[in-house]
Amino acid sequence: MKKQLYIAALFLGSLTTFAQEKNHNISGGLESNFQWYTNDKNAGDFDDNFSPGEAGIDDHVRSNNYLNLRYNYGKFTAGIQGEFYLPRPLLNYSPYLDDSGVSTFFVNYKTDKLDITGGNFYDQFGSGIIFRSWENRQLGINNSVRGARVNYKPMDALEFTAFYGRQKEAFGVSDGDMFGFNSEISLTDLLNKDSESSLNLGLSYVGRSESTDSFDMDLNPDLDDITHAVSARLDYNKSNFYGSFEYAFKSKDIVVMNQNFINGLIKDGNAFLLNMGYSQKGFGVDWTLRRMENMSFYSERSAPTNVNLADFNMDIVNYIPALTKQQDYLLTNIYVYQAQPGVSIITEERSKAGEIGHQLDLFYKFKKGSSLGGKYGTKIAFNVASWYNLSGDYSIQSEGEDILDPSDDTVFDYDTDFFDLGDRYFTEVSFEVRKKFSKKLSTIFTYVDTFYSKEFVEDTSGEVNADVVVGEATYKLGKGKSIRMELQHLWANKDLKNWAAGTLEYNISPRFTVYVSDMYNYGNDDEARQLHYYNAGVNYTKGATRIGTNFGRQRGGLICVGGVCRFVPESNGLTVNITTSF
Amino acid sequence: MKKYIIYFIALFFSTYSFAQKELPNMDLKDTKGKVTNLKEFTEDHSMVVVSFWATWCGPCIKELDAIHEVYEEWQDELDFEFIAISTDDSRTARRVQPMVNGHEWEYNILLDSNQNLKQALNVNNIPHVFVVKDGKVIYSHQGYKPGDEEELYDILTENN
Repeated sequence: MKKQLYIAALFLGSLTTFAQEKNHNISGGLESNFQWYTNDKNAGDFDDNFSPGEAGIDDHVRSNNYLNLRYNYGKFTAGIQGEFYLPRPLLNYSPYLDDSGVSTFFVNYKTDKLDITGGNFYDQFGSGIIFRSWENRQLGINNSVRGARVNYKPMDALEFTAFYGRQKEAFGVSDGDMFGFNSEISLTDLLNKDSESSLNLGLSYVGRSESTDSFDMDLNPDLDDITHAVSARLDYNKSNFYGSFEYAFKSKDIVVMNQNFINGLIKDGNAFLLNMGYSQKGFGVDWTLRRMENMSFYSERSAPTNVNLADFNMDIVNYIPALTKQQDYLLTNIYVYQAQPGVSIITEERSKAGEIGHQLDLFYKFKKGSSLGGKYGTKIAFNVASWYNLSGDYSIQSEGEDILDPSDDTVFDYDTDFFDLGDRYFTEVSFEVRKKFSKKLSTIFTYVDTFYSKEFVEDTSGEVNADVVVGEATYKLGKGKSIRMELQHLWANKDLKNWAAGTLEYNISPRFTVYVSDMYNYGNDDEARQLHYYNAGVNYTKGATRIGTNFGRQRGGLICVGGVCRFVPESNGLTVNITTSF
Repeated sequence: MKKYIIYFIALFFSTYSFAQKELPNMDLKDTKGKVTNLKEFTEDHSMVVVSFWATWCGPCIKELDAIHEVYEEWQDELDFEFIAISTDDSRTARRVQPMVNGHEWEYNILLDSNQNLKQALNVNNIPHVFVVKDGKVIYSHQGYKPGDEEELYDILTENN
């Protein structure tokens, strides 16, 4: 901690000295999220049950604070980010973050052809199936690699990247060493510069090296120190058409199920992604097909066995999000799909080793003046996403009594079929219409129909069929004032059953907004759980600064943002958010 | 207690510096794979509007639709370039071009799919709009409410 403070102080001191001179660029940003958790008479007393091993700690006020500083002079850039979790992190963040100090730092030198970074860096190879390091504070993800990265562009058509390091794990680093290489080759630029179409080839390699000393090599003879992952992809583009294909392969590694290493189950993994589309003025269509088998990839083998890491998206090397539509509204965010890259063998009928499925998106604009278009034109958007298990043979051969006891001589195995579909995990059909009726009034109407298998997606039981309807209208009152209203309803035959929700937002001026919202689970079979998840707040925005405060009851469950999910416990209280950049 | 002191000292030092920002020397691709260097672009064009958005961000779509309605008039009156930078990552990046065409937006569209530019400019929430004049950022605004495009228009007219 002390060492970090000295580095930070030195950095800040030298920054302010240079601040006033020409060509020295300093910028930065601050983000603070405070929460004061209160006891809720309906949902229960505030209980810090997300700090395993430290039950009973009762800090009702928590905050996550991020301060980022960046300095640039000519070809050099340096940056530092401090994270302060005071007095402890917010409820839904890893207990390993219960500290404060420097979280990332870097020094970078960049010319036209060369880009070298020492320290923490972020990068992605292809679509991220084998490697992506990124930051998303809302999800508690920051898996930047701390080491060295070199990027070289000898000519326009070629780009190469190489890196070595360890992944950031809270305020420390992962146990495994990571190294990678990526190449992007523009085949059309190399062969024919004047081509109207473009064809790009990408080839990547990522390796993770970690000692296998803690494993019993008699039970796991195939286990290697290094797990290799490779990916190859082709991207094609010609006027309004485009298409791409990516294939990834991950070498053998020990499988983790239910947070336990399964001795003897050493399997490789693979994935492919096919995408194509057509797009012209007023119309666009896009289709994606993906199959993944055993594609979880961690920078530390034991991460998925550690609840303080696995539950908080830590030590993940790749990015394999749910390929479904990001829904915007309160009720359309209840039954949300989570991608299923991993292996789980519970019984021979109830098992999975990955997923296969597709997604289709369609956008169309009815022209102004046409019968469906009206005066301003009408825009529609359609999406369908459907995901299934991999069909195949899943086997369990047990000598003893208790399958879940690791000392039992149970042998698990699986062998999947390549294209066949297994049990259905999830299907969602969404339809959206945006229509402006006058200079003052614009509306959005949305309908979503969902099939959700709790058994396979949540590892609980049951299936839900849900339908949601949302109507939203915005009315401009002039002089920077406007009012926005949403009305929503969800019909479901099982699980939590029916909900009704509404939001009213009033923009008092270009700077101030007040809102009130409520989600009411009136259809719940359990009367004690027929709760209102109410929320009210005020936001102030000026330039790059935003200060917001809200109070209310937060629904517990999966919060999914950008295809990555995190479990959030039910809570009640006051929240204050401050963000600014300079 | 020590942690709080460090935090507030850091806060004080950071607000003390107020040098004007330039766009970083980063290369971004458009949906066809063509590369644009941001620093060079702001050197070649005296007035550039940069707007960060994503296909899943409701207020961002409303902002780009609102500007689209007055875009032709603004282009007749004023001399400026508009770059709409999508922060969609690989999960939703494929939706960018079909959506741009479905809404008939005429902006320059660039992809920041690992969010490296968003991080470099310390953009916390989207939508976020910057106005860059002669290579320096003169206006930075977070969020969108109906009517915000009028403030943007004022900034562009004052500085044209």
